[in-house]
Amino acid sequence: MRNKAMLIVAAFVIAAASLPLFAGPYFLSVFNTIFVYMSLALTWDIMLRTGQLSYGTAGLFGLGAYASALLVAKAGLNPLVSIAAGGAFAGLLAFFLGFGVLRLRKIYFSITTLALTTVFSVIIRNLPRLTGGASGTVLPRALFNGDPGKNYWMIYCLALAVIAISVWLSKSKTHYAINAIRNDEITARSSGIDVFKYLLFIFVLTSTIQGVIGAFYAQQYAFVQPEATFSMNFLLLPLAMALVGGVYSTIGPVVGAVLLGLVSEYLKLIMPYGHLIVYGIIIVLVVLFMPQGITRAFAKLFTRKMQVGGVDSASLRD
Amino acid sequence: MLEVKNLDVAYGRIQVIWNLSLNIGNNEVVGVFGPNGAGKSTLINAIVGVVKAKSGEITFDGVPIHNQETHTIARGGIVVVPQNRELFPAMTVKENLRLGAAYIPHARAKMDETIEYVYSLFPILKEREKQLAGTMSGGQQRMLVIGRALMSRPKMLILDEPSLGLQPSLVTEMFQILNRIKQDDMVILLAEQNVRQGLKVIDRGYVMENGRIAMEGSIEELSEDEHIRRAYLGV
Repeated sequence: MRNKAMLIVAAFVIAAASLPLFAGPYFLSVFNTIFVYMSLALTWDIMLRTGQLSYGTAGLFGLGAYASALLVAKAGLNPLVSIAAGGAFAGLLAFFLGFGVLRLRKIYFSITTLALTTVFSVIIRNLPRLTGGASGTVLPRALFNGDPGKNYWMIYCLALAVIAISVWLSKSKTHYAINAIRNDEITARSSGIDVFKYLLFIFVLTSTIQGVIGAFYAQQYAFVQPEATFSMNFLLLPLAMALVGGVYSTIGPVVGAVLLGLVSEYLKLIMPYGHLIVYGIIIVLVVLFMPQGITRAFAKLFTRKMQVGGVDSASLRD
Repeated sequence: MLEVKNLDVAYGRIQVIWNLSLNIGNNEVVGVFGPNGAGKSTLINAIVGVVKAKSGEITFDGVPIHNQETHTIARGGIVVVPQNRELFPAMTVKENLRLGAAYIPHARAKMDETIEYVYSLFPILKEREKQLAGTMSGGQQRMLVIGRALMSRPKMLILDEPSLGLQPSLVTEMFQILNRIKQDDMVILLAEQNVRQGLKVIDRGYVMENGRIAMEGSIEELSEDEHIRRAYLGV
């Protein structure tokens, strides 16, 4: 059983890696976008595993994007190095912000992270000399000169790395600590768990990844602009993907991202107007009728055991 | 071992504990009795750092702990079995137990040994080790919570109403087990409303009323006191 699952995973990994060999630029760009959102969905889910519902995904994505774009435009940094720098910048900022926002819980944490996104975008809009203000900054060259295959491989490798981090986390000592924090923070503390330390670690980790993905996105399109770079899409779509696929797992956001990514693309083709309405309805239906996500609903059909990726369904009831 | 001096605790402007002092010696089992709302749970929360004292001092083995964080206090050897907040229902029995030791370095090293000890106290937990904790009965869950607390190899165990909500036969069993833990040289602070059962375990006790210590004494003194006999023992 386990070997069979490994084979299937390996087949998917190889098939996805070889996509640029036979698919045209259109398909590559569709999957490119899917991997961007998949990575964001995973980071949002990893934060959620600690019990903190973050609305800051778009904010740290945008910060990474701007940091990387400005380093290339103003300091002439190598684009690939700037992607790492974008992640480091987002992570560093998250580290300092963490001392404030991670004291907050529940709705207060969520609202504050959402507000931060707006604050970042307002600050950037009001520094026109540095950032280009509301009209943004255009970079001289796109990443890999806009080669769709290379860009695809790059984001594919990034997404694989995020998946690996997510799997590693779910097998580590951190997994039990953050599960405990989500279940009951006071009991976690009384079990000797340094709650703040774990929250800070996860917040910095997910923010760094969001920064890297944002930086890649900016370099790929050679363009940053407050409206587009801090777009709520970078929060709402990953959130919907994780919910549809199934939260608190690695497989959930991955499946959710592929599914919703393909569905939205197909809907765009068959009905240029109003595809977002259908898209929205699908999300509502899935959340209503499969509140544990599509992956768990399927797992239940086949095994009658409600476990996916080692995360139990009972924890969803809190 | 534990010394509480002139403790005041308030939630905002409402003061719950007034100038409270108590101490627990090495190898002692001390009871804190009192009705609902007397401040027993608040006292416990203050000791383990979940609520901060307004004034006063709490020392453990001579070290002041009233400014320490809960997880530091837990690592230092005080572990509480809370009244409501109990276990991780979505984890198995064994995972719950392991979690009790995993984040406390000296307990982590002895995890397997301690699990055997906990299983010897509560054989039912060994039988159910692969079951999800949330699917067990109330009494079994209570045992699991005590087991998890013991997993951290505490120097002192604080129990907040371990008999609450248990059927009478289980209450008796619970206190038998507490007696066994006591014989293994555990220092225990027991907060209880069930004075009759509590008196069978403790060495010494305090009675708390309205956030203050109303009385302190040995088992004999407590069980012969007219007020306690009438208010708590129903005689």
